[in-house]
This record gives sequence, structure tokens and C-alpha cells, in this order.
Amino acid sequence: MKKFWALLLTAAMTVSMLTGCGGSSQPAQADTAGNEAGSDSTGQTDTGDNAAQDIAADLDMSKTVKIGILVSDATTAEALAFRTYYTEYIQKQYNVEMIYSDELTDAAGETSAIDTFITNNCKAIISFSSFDRAAQIEQCEGAGVYYAVATGTLTDEEYETYKGYEHYVGAIGPSLDVEFETGYNMAKHYLDQGTTNFAIFGGAIPYYTEMHIYRAAGMITAMVEAGGDGASYQGAAVKDAIIGQIFADGEVKTGAIGNVNILGYVGGYDMDDAWFGKCAQMAQTTDLEVILAVGNGSDFFGTAIAGTDVKIASVDAYASSYGEAMEAGMLDYLAGKFSASIGPIFIATYRAALGAPIRTADGNALALSQGYWIAENVEDFGAYYAVDSSVESPAYTKDLLDTLLTADYATFENFVGKYSFAEIQNM
Amino acid sequence: MKTGKTNGLKRIVEIAGIPAAAFLIMVLLCGIQGVKLFEMEGNWILFFRAAASVMLTTFALSLNLNSGRFDFSIGSVALLSSVISASICTAAGLPTIVMLMISIIAGALLGAISGAVYVIVKLPPIIVSLGVALFYEGFAFSITKGYGVSFVANAELTSFPSVANYLLIIVCGLLLFIFLFDYTQFGYDYKALLSGQKVAVNTGIKEIPNAVGCYTIAGALMGVVGFISATNTGTIQMALNFGSIGTMFTAFLPMFIGGFIGRFCNEKIGYLLGAVTTAFISLMYARLNVDASVQQIVTALILVGFLIYLNNENKIIELVQLKKLMGKTGAEKGK
Repeated sequence: MKKFWALLLTAAMTVSMLTGCGGSSQPAQADTAGNEAGSDSTGQTDTGDNAAQDIAADLDMSKTVKIGILVSDATTAEALAFRTYYTEYIQKQYNVEMIYSDELTDAAGETSAIDTFITNNCKAIISFSSFDRAAQIEQCEGAGVYYAVATGTLTDEEYETYKGYEHYVGAIGPSLDVEFETGYNMAKHYLDQGTTNFAIFGGAIPYYTEMHIYRAAGMITAMVEAGGDGASYQGAAVKDAIIGQIFADGEVKTGAIGNVNILGYVGGYDMDDAWFGKCAQMAQTTDLEVILAVGNGSDFFGTAIAGTDVKIASVDAYASSYGEAMEAGMLDYLAGKFSASIGPIFIATYRAALGAPIRTADGNALALSQGYWIAENVEDFGAYYAVDSSVESPAYTKDLLDTLLTADYATFENFVGKYSFAEIQNM
Repeated sequence: MKTGKTNGLKRIVEIAGIPAAAFLIMVLLCGIQGVKLFEMEGNWILFFRAAASVMLTTFALSLNLNSGRFDFSIGSVALLSSVISASICTAAGLPTIVMLMISIIAGALLGAISGAVYVIVKLPPIIVSLGVALFYEGFAFSITKGYGVSFVANAELTSFPSVANYLLIIVCGLLLFIFLFDYTQFGYDYKALLSGQKVAVNTGIKEIPNAVGCYTIAGALMGVVGFISATNTGTIQMALNFGSIGTMFTAFLPMFIGGFIGRFCNEKIGYLLGAVTTAFISLMYARLNVDASVQQIVTALILVGFLIYLNNENKIIELVQLKKLMGKTGAEKGK
């Protein structure tokens, strides 16, 4: 009897180890009888759409395509929204099986996860993990597996190196210029209102994460422009110099930028007593008006600013908790990625796996930029969230994505470039 | 009479020396930078929150570790119990005190399950606790669909952080812990098992209920830790793949300090003073905005330095005494 209990408990714990990571179920195949991975059955989802059937005639979508998804984050609102879009919508609409990696923490983990995907007969890999992009691309090229970057881009040097690789599909996501612009617009939004006293939450700047550095550089550049004659940040007055300064320091320095002040700064995600103390201390700085966060701000500073006039501006995704924070007056501005933004890179990867890759006019891999949806009030947020959280009718529906299955590069580029909420609604 | 006074003073120095020295060093470090260690209310809140949280974690860790049971699951108990209590209270609109109660009950239950798994499976506790940690992390992830719990906008539940509330937790936690382990049959049995399990069992003490009891109490304590953490920010971030284990490591330094101070007073008071010492250090980190990497190096150096001292204490004392003796002999020869 004791052995039975021991076995039962061990089994329960083993099952729990698989919770929240590893492979996903295959809901797409639930409504296509007899359709298994690698089988020759039709595997077509019944959309009732003639256009889709025409496309199916051109592309052989009868076999289930296994796609490995590399993730370095499994718990943030953004990561969960992306995962929901792929597993709850895309996987139900297309004959694909998405297999997720564990939450990766380093380049070695990426290599190991790609090996596992290859062993599992994945035909393509979409990566949300960026510890060593170059190694990932080389590994996939060597194994003959298609590889794509979701919600990110390569550096110019990396793109020049890998753009001609046969199995490198490309990258679609906010470019570093878009990240810079996002931070710039956020700060300018408040500078235009006459705000002069800011604090900055630097997120992953101490870990030299480029997108966070570029967002902060955008904020500071806007402050330099608004700071009056001779204003500069640590002696730097132009975009490239400011980016270089943050890279050199590994942090944002507090101080005056002409008439504008950076009163406080906290970076990292240490989540210990000292770190929460730093956050509270920064939020309660005398004369502070706005906290500009390069990532999620309201979760870390919301309670500290309760009852004050301090506002928080964040860059993240559209999650219900941010809606509540906005309604409570804690979150004032949100630049959020929309979950369906990863739809086009899926189509590009899927096409490659089906033997119809999409390349630029020069025959190179994709390098397309997308931006954010900006919510400046509760109404905006509500409208965006309703669409973004829908698994029945998300921003990029199957009908919209199907138009990309046979699209040429120009059409594809044009589609991706129209990423604002209004533009997508008018598609 | 004079000797009695001297002994009393010596005892006070032995008990309060480490936290007092830590306080003075932190004040000095802040002073050099032109910063006051305690300047605003938020600094006091941070200090007492850290002291309360670390003290309870130290109690929970030491409870099983002193008996040779390494428990990696205490962080996951704090996580899951706070997820359960926060989910219930935000859904039902319940007040903070109810959230605290639910956290304690859920923590105790989760601790009891952890203990039951250990005594049933009979695998080494280090392995069992790792499995339990993964299970609880995965369970918390599943019930929140990975999003965690956010109640930033809930003014009632986020109203808890205050010096008075944290002080109340410290006092109640300490008194209850002392009562349980110094004045009850359970505590006597625990101590007897600690000093010699075979002999204790032969005298009729039941080690299995005692072990499960220890896990249950540790779980209840971690329930409070989870509550403190959750109500601080109004959010509970998910942890996977042993992400919750870090909580346990915050208790090592205060546990060793507490063990040392415990030679001169009740060990539980030693743990409290160990927690106070680390709270001073945490506050200094916050006040001086010390980089995380520097924090880790400093904390590791303090821990290693302290362990080196503890392991070589006799040699160091002998060395000091030898020097004194040589000094005296030299002086006498000089005469």
C-alpha cells in the first residue's frame, strides 16, 4: 500500500514538472478526424471560406507541420498573450502543431531546446528567445530547419551576415528604431503637457537588453530636446551619443537635463527587499510627476503612488490588470504590443515549411518592423483589449492571414507595415 | 556585584553586538554618501517588512534544516498560499485580515502535504522538496493561467504595509514560535528528536507526526511571508522551474547569525536579530541604490566570512589569547 502511495505521489510530481512548459496539446486536430502529426490526411480546418480552399490548392497543407517555439519568458502578460494567440487561435485555424520550449535562461538552453525540436521532427522554429541569435540561426541552417525571429529584429550586422541563409525566414517585430521612437513619444507626450520632473524605470538596462536601452534613450532624447538651449544628458545631446552613454553606464543617471529633471532611476528585476525598497523610494521622490517605464511599470510602482498625483507610463502588452490600473488612475499611458502581431511571422514560417518561402526582391530574408498600440486613456485601452484578448476574432484573423499565404513581398511588407489599431480594423 | 554587572554588559554585547555593529556600519556607509539610513516613512516600512519577512522565513527554514531536512519548497508554499488567498479575496471582495487568515491556513495545508509526501515517499527530503516546489509552482501557474494575481487597484488589500502591522507580525510570530517550541509537548519532542532521534523514538516520541507538524508550521509561516510579499505591491508574479527557491536563500545569513547569537540567548531571538541585521543591510542597499551584482557579492562575502569565523572560532580565540599572553610576558620581561 505504501509503495502504491509512493508511486502515485511520484507520478503526480512528475506530471506537475510538465505543467506550464513543454509541448502543447493539439486542439487544431480535434475537429479534423483522424488527422495526426505527419499523417497524410487532409488536416484542413473547416472555415467554409472559398478563398482558403483556393489557397489550399496551391499549397499542400494536408500534413501537420510541427513548429518549435523558443521562449525565454513564460509568465509575463506579453508572453502569455502571444502564447494564447498561437495555441488558442493559430493552432486551431491551421494544420500546425506548436511545441513550446521550457522557459530558457541562457544560450546553452536555446541550443538544447533546438536539438529537442529537431529530434521531434519540427520543420521550423519561431524564436522569442534572444540569448544568442547567431548560434540559433547557424544551428537551424546546419540542420535544415527554418528559423524565424518573432517580436524582435537582428542588428544590421547580423542581418547582413544571415540574410542570405536559405533557412533563415527573417524577423518581424519592433526594430530598435521603433523602440527608440516608442520611448521618445512616451516622454514627449508628457513634456508637451509641461511635465518636467520624471523618474525612469530601466527594466533590463542593467542586463544590456537593447530594446530597453533604446526606449530609455528615446525618452532622454525627448527630454534633451525639451530641456532648452545647451541641454544634454551626461554631455550627450544626440540619439547615438545618448544610446552610447547608457550602454557605457549600464544605467540611467539621475540629474538635470536643462529644464527637465530625472529625479530617480531604478533598473533590474531583482524582486528582493532592497529592490522593492528602491522602487518605493523612487516613486515617493518629492516633486515627481511621471514615472516612465521601459517595461511594466504599474505592477511595481502602482501601490507606491496610490493617493498621489504621480502618473505611470509603461511599455508592455494588453492585459486585464493594466486596464484595472488605468481605471484606478495608476497607469496613465500604455504602449502595448498586440498579441496578433506575431501572426505574419507565423505565416512566413509556415510558408517556408510548406515549400513556398517569402523573400525580399533581392531574395533575402525578411526584416520588417512593427510598432505598438498606444492607449492614452481607459476608452482606448478597452477597445484595444477587447480585440487583443479575443481568441475568436483577434486583430489578425485567419481570413486576413490567409491573404499572406500567397502574397508577394510587397503585399506582405505593406500588410505588416499597417499595424496600428485603426489600420488593422479597416483591413 | 561588579562581576555580575560586567557579565550582564558582556551578555548584552554578545547578543546585540552583531545587529548594532551592522546598524553602525550601514549608518556610516550612508553618511559617507550623504544619505540618511532612515529618512522617510518608506524607509521604516522597508526595514520592518524585511525584518518580518526574513525572520519568518528563517524560522521556517531552520525548523526543518536543524533536523536535517533541507526544504526547497518553502518559497513555493509562500507563492501558492498567497495566490490562493489573493484570488479568493479579490473575487469575493474580502478584507485584508481574511486574506492573512486564508494565507496561513493554505500555507499550513500545503506544508502538511509537503511533510506527508516526505514521510510517505521516504525519499531524501532534498529530492522530495524539489518535487513539491515544482508541483506548487506549476499549480500556481495553472490556476492563474500564468498571469499571476494582480490587485494593484484594490485599496483594501494593499493597505496592509505599515510599521505597526509589520511590528505586530514580528512580535506575534516570535512569541508564538517561542511558545510552540519552548513550552509545549510538541516542542519538547522536537528538541528531543533533534538531540538524538533513536533515543527519543525509543522513549516513545513519534517522529513522523512531529516531522509533519514541523512542515505544517513552516508552511503556515511561509503563508504569512507570501501574504507580506503580495500585499506589498499588489501583484504576485509567477515562478517556474524552481524560480521560487530564491526565497529560501534569504534566510541563510540570518540563520547563521541567529545560531551564533543563540549561544547567549534564546535561539529564536537570535533569528530575529539575524533578520534585523539583514534588514539593515537591505535598507542600505536601497538607500544607496546599490547595484544588484554588487549586492550579491557583498552578501556572499559576509556569509562566507561569517562561516569562516564560525569554523575557525577556537583557533581565532586561541590566537588572540596567545597574543595577549605574549604581550604580558614581554611586558614582565621588560620590567
